[in-house]
Amino acid sequence: MTARRIRIGIDTGGTFTDVVAFDEDSGEVVTTKTPSTPGNPADGFLAGIDKVLEIAGAQFDDVVAVSHGTTVATNQLLEGKVDALGFITTAGYEAMLEIARQSVPDGYGNSYFWVKPDRIVPRDLVQGVGGRLDFTGAEIRPFDEDGARRVARWFRAKGIDTLGVCFLHAYANPAHEERMRAILAEEHPDAVVSISSEVLREYREYERSMTTLVDAAVKPKLSRYVTNIKDRLATQSGRTVPFYVMKSNGGVLSADEVVHQPITTVLSGPAAGALGAALIAKVAGFDKVLTSDGGGTSTDVSVVIDGDPTLTTEGSVGVYPSKIPMIDVVTVGAGGGSIAWLSPEGTLKVGPHSAGADPGPICYRKGGAEVTITDAHVFLGRIPPHLLGGEIPLDVDAASAAIQQLAGKLGITAEACATGILEISAWNQANALRQVTVKRGLDVRDFTLTTFGGSGSLLLCRLMDILNVPTVLVPPNPGNVSAFGLLTVDVKNDYVQTHVALQENLDPADLQHDYDALTERAAAALTKEGFAEADHAFVRTADVRYFGQAFEVRVGVPDGPVTTETLTTVADRFHAEHRVLYGYDFSGDPSQQVEVVNLRVSGIGPIKRPEILRADAPRPAPQPTGTRSVCFDAEAGYVETPIFWRPDLPAGQVLTGPVVIEEFGSTVPVHPGFTARVDDFANIIVTRTQQTEES
Amino acid sequence: MCLSCQTVHNGSAPAAHHHDADTGSRRAPTQFPFGTLTADAGRSADPVLVEIVQGSLAAVEHEVETAIARTSRSPMIRDAHDFRAGIHDRLLRKLTGRSYSALVHPVARDFPIEEMQEGDVFFHNDVYLSEGGIGHLPDLCVTVPVFAGPEGKRRVVAFIQAFGHHDDIGGAVPGSMPSHATSVFEEGLAVPPIKLWDAGVPNRAALTIMTRNSRMPESLAADLDAECSACLMGARRLGELFDRYGTETVESCFDAIIDRSTETYRREILAKIPVGTWTWEDYAEHDGVDEPQLHTQRITLTRTAADDPEGERLVLDFAGTGPQAKGPINHCGDYSDGVFLKKWLAPILRNLADTPERMAELDVNEGVVPLIDMRFPPPGTLLTPVFPAPTNARTFVILRLLGVLAGVLAKAVDGRMPADQETIRYTGVYGEDLEGRSYLMREVLGGGSGGRYYADGEDTIHVVPDSRNLPTEFTESRFPFVVESLGLALDSGGAGQFRGGLGYEKHIRMLKDAHFMSIADRSILACWGVKGGKAGRPFQVTIDPGGPNERDVDALADAEPVVAGETIRIRTTGGGGWGNPLERDPALVVRDVVWRKVSPEAALADYGVVLTGELADDPSTGSGQAELGYDAAATASERASRPVPAADDAFFDRGPGYGTLSGGASAAAVDLLGV
Repeated sequence: MTARRIRIGIDTGGTFTDVVAFDEDSGEVVTTKTPSTPGNPADGFLAGIDKVLEIAGAQFDDVVAVSHGTTVATNQLLEGKVDALGFITTAGYEAMLEIARQSVPDGYGNSYFWVKPDRIVPRDLVQGVGGRLDFTGAEIRPFDEDGARRVARWFRAKGIDTLGVCFLHAYANPAHEERMRAILAEEHPDAVVSISSEVLREYREYERSMTTLVDAAVKPKLSRYVTNIKDRLATQSGRTVPFYVMKSNGGVLSADEVVHQPITTVLSGPAAGALGAALIAKVAGFDKVLTSDGGGTSTDVSVVIDGDPTLTTEGSVGVYPSKIPMIDVVTVGAGGGSIAWLSPEGTLKVGPHSAGADPGPICYRKGGAEVTITDAHVFLGRIPPHLLGGEIPLDVDAASAAIQQLAGKLGITAEACATGILEISAWNQANALRQVTVKRGLDVRDFTLTTFGGSGSLLLCRLMDILNVPTVLVPPNPGNVSAFGLLTVDVKNDYVQTHVALQENLDPADLQHDYDALTERAAAALTKEGFAEADHAFVRTADVRYFGQAFEVRVGVPDGPVTTETLTTVADRFHAEHRVLYGYDFSGDPSQQVEVVNLRVSGIGPIKRPEILRADAPRPAPQPTGTRSVCFDAEAGYVETPIFWRPDLPAGQVLTGPVVIEEFGSTVPVHPGFTARVDDFANIIVTRTQQTEES
Repeated sequence: MCLSCQTVHNGSAPAAHHHDADTGSRRAPTQFPFGTLTADAGRSADPVLVEIVQGSLAAVEHEVETAIARTSRSPMIRDAHDFRAGIHDRLLRKLTGRSYSALVHPVARDFPIEEMQEGDVFFHNDVYLSEGGIGHLPDLCVTVPVFAGPEGKRRVVAFIQAFGHHDDIGGAVPGSMPSHATSVFEEGLAVPPIKLWDAGVPNRAALTIMTRNSRMPESLAADLDAECSACLMGARRLGELFDRYGTETVESCFDAIIDRSTETYRREILAKIPVGTWTWEDYAEHDGVDEPQLHTQRITLTRTAADDPEGERLVLDFAGTGPQAKGPINHCGDYSDGVFLKKWLAPILRNLADTPERMAELDVNEGVVPLIDMRFPPPGTLLTPVFPAPTNARTFVILRLLGVLAGVLAKAVDGRMPADQETIRYTGVYGEDLEGRSYLMREVLGGGSGGRYYADGEDTIHVVPDSRNLPTEFTESRFPFVVESLGLALDSGGAGQFRGGLGYEKHIRMLKDAHFMSIADRSILACWGVKGGKAGRPFQVTIDPGGPNERDVDALADAEPVVAGETIRIRTTGGGGWGNPLERDPALVVRDVVWRKVSPEAALADYGVVLTGELADDPSTGSGQAELGYDAAATASERASRPVPAADDAFFDRGPGYGTLSGGASAAAVDLLGV
């Protein structure tokens, strides 16, 4: 018997590790879950592989690749657990982190009471080194070799083994930083070092320094983690199993490479979820997709158009800004555990505080005392009075008592209170969805919303109503979409070079030179990843603005030799995109000059995507598993509602609300006025119920 | 007869006067008194909808501000974030609370609301016709009415407004902020409220006149486009909210939002202030025309009792404020019942809330207005200037007033207010770059904030939210200089149990001859310390420090010549200290020395801390020596040898510069408690 070719996607979450196995030959997809093992995540990881292979009836030898979404870097940053870190910068700029950009967040007058968070590196672990470049990369003063050596020894003596290096204008010329790294290798060989010209070749020294320091900060832990898994995979299989890690930019990269650019993994999980959902929606016939991934504490929303997620370089993780390209995800504090509370002003608020999984909602009976979104759902009958297909019962009476109490304080009925909590949560999600679309000049009504995750689909009818979204798609196994997404993405690396010049002063040859250099780096990386030259794909983009603006708009740069026509095309695309984004442009106005700021190349190595198979042949019409009293509208009260088990529903099945569709780990309440249809790929498609003929 | 009796009183009967008739201070009449949209002031509003409406208002405000920030050109908008969007209801009440904003009053005064049409965009920047909402001419203000209702019955339900500080609107100097101006006519083009767009049609003539009068016509045109587009987008978004829930329902929520804000301030802020009256004053030090002197700004604060016939509230009387300045530091405050100034000053009140987290949560919307009464001195003072007095540097007054209010409150609450900060000044260089093109590099450098009873002040921050400094890697690519260093000014933070934050020390080496400009206060006077805390160090600019041509530059300078190769050293203000520095934890003083915030000399002189060991983090000395520490016994005896604070010590420390301008006095009479 010849070996099968199985690829595995593993998404490690806080509570569960989701695993998906895809047989490249048969197209079969198998999913499962195992408990996560936060103490040593590798244990849960390998247990997950064993479990999914057992279900698939396959051997370890059949595994051709493993793709992984990890939150190791993210959690480290969110928890602010950054170990002793040193910062080496240009002499005269040692206080760069204290000064930052001088900005105080949020409201006017906050400068009087704002308390600045601790810096990522305290001032006593910052050292300056002499030597200075100008903005073209030319040397103003030579690099101070002796000073650099003293600094390297000093950090070694101090026992500081993780270092970030950022010198002024290193984006234009990495020579001084590379020299620093070489000296550190000689004087302090144990040090883990990140240099800014490798992490982010983009101007603005504070942001580049922070990005470099974040990269350095997560490097030791991520390296240990990835290497550990790689070694155990090798031990288990007796060979080297190709092992990929999901990046924030919507691509994957081999474990060997990703340890050198750990910051690129910070949004690993959300990126995989968005791309998995988008692929499912695309196969179902939808190209413009909003994704909404609802978990226990928060909901992540993003935009995917034609399979490409919208990216941002202005993201942050926790309190740490990151200028690395990452999928533009907006996270709202709206999950099953989000707490409803009364502000001192007496208004009802929902989230962002969460009861999490422990103590969890009141109805979990694990000590939770505050009303959560899950409590409101169970009180209204929108979810079953138990979890995970019946394994864990929920205490509806306790939830009810607490909601009555909260309603009493507000002077409204318990039903109005519970629906109100959910309505506020839905608006919070809706505002996030508006935010990701409006700021890109997109109209939310042109999109199909894809909801997944444990709590993602519970409010979909309200979201349709608030946002005027015509269609919502709920994929099968909504808890496994992120793990599935890991199997759908290509290898991808991004390279940037700042090159500030007005359009009229741009020399196509200069641009050609820079793009060639970037493409060369991208190609070298793809070759290293094992892609034949014929399979290399490159995407060129440029960040462009009107002279004097501080923010740029990213536009595609046509393939082929760079000519004056190329430049005209880039300018035209910029004018058009600016109009889409902001409602006006200065096309044809010679007084308004176009300025190119950054040149970018992404190198892409394509991998085989799983094909989503059509569902089996039609089956007999299913029967409801029962009925339940469900409240969809406080004024209308409770209505007896049929309950269906999702795996029973055949393709083509149409159910008209009110109806509740349940499956393992997720529920879809379909409100009156909405219709759910099961498509050929086992997705649930929700639309508004067509009105009958007008009279 | 007192003028206050002639003004509209929000329906209440004229009542007893609480101000001293001798001061001659008065209320400022308004044709738009505070009122509510619904009979019960929103008390019956659905609590769920109130939260949804408030969330939507915040989202719209955020979207409008984001659109402006991302497309604007003027550095004051783009980097310094000196712009704001606001949402106002049809009673002209400000609904959003994250930021200050201008007023709709001048637009509604000149264009009756019922005659407005969809697609109208109003514009104004005329300080004297702005009802106090615009402080200087570069602040260009765009107002868009929001319409809602069924077809044929659509009417104005709200306003979206944005204003921003533009590069140049003409006048005597580039940047339209002539520090030696003696009238508004030297400050640029003043436009009273006009229709910039009439039912969707832009008024090209008006736009042409404005751009023709600016030295930066392209950026002016682009910034106006950015503001108009953003406000129109916001108006559409807000209109959708009305169409979804109906005008009456949404307006009931507006009432509830404002009323809850009033009640929150009453409960969490007013409750912290005892009933009584206190007076304090502070000063601008120069006006660009006369010799440096004390330009007094004074507030007499009265906190009335709950059973006061006119209500429980704060009365702020500005009587005693100095005469109108010849130079441009005047601010037009006495219009429309002081409604702009009330919302401008109210954020300071938030410092009385229980925790810094709670302070940050409190919105400043129109709900603060019913809790504040203002009394203004007769025309002809810094705060009641008479047309055409110049106003371009009015930050010297309105920013200082934030501190005067903080100080007078500190007297009322035993010092539980932050010490002083000064975080706005304009510094820059201009001339021709290496290719011979003219340029103006102007930036707003912040300073240290004051110590608080719960924390040190912060280094190099800025009062305007999200205002950013300019990256060296940006400025060096555009202007002919090298920023040799950008650091913190050692010892600039006022000593205290909680130290003041540090100011900047920035070194700019010119590659070509240029002119330096500065518009800054607090170069003689300093940011005050309170309750035993010391003043911070003042602003200082030195050209060629340590070189043959070393010279200090006046803080109000339009065109100081600098030659290629010379370095400009700018030190900005440190914040005032809070509490007795001898009570500061010596370990924190050691940390400050290690962090290069306090010198070893100041550790002993200001804090009485006797240091031991070496600064081990200096690689040039290696790390073999004993690390820096302190001698506990020697520190205790050093501290015991210092004079014990006395009950009649001044409650504020204004620094050594005060004596220079006061004729030698070390403190003002109002600096004592009980005055």
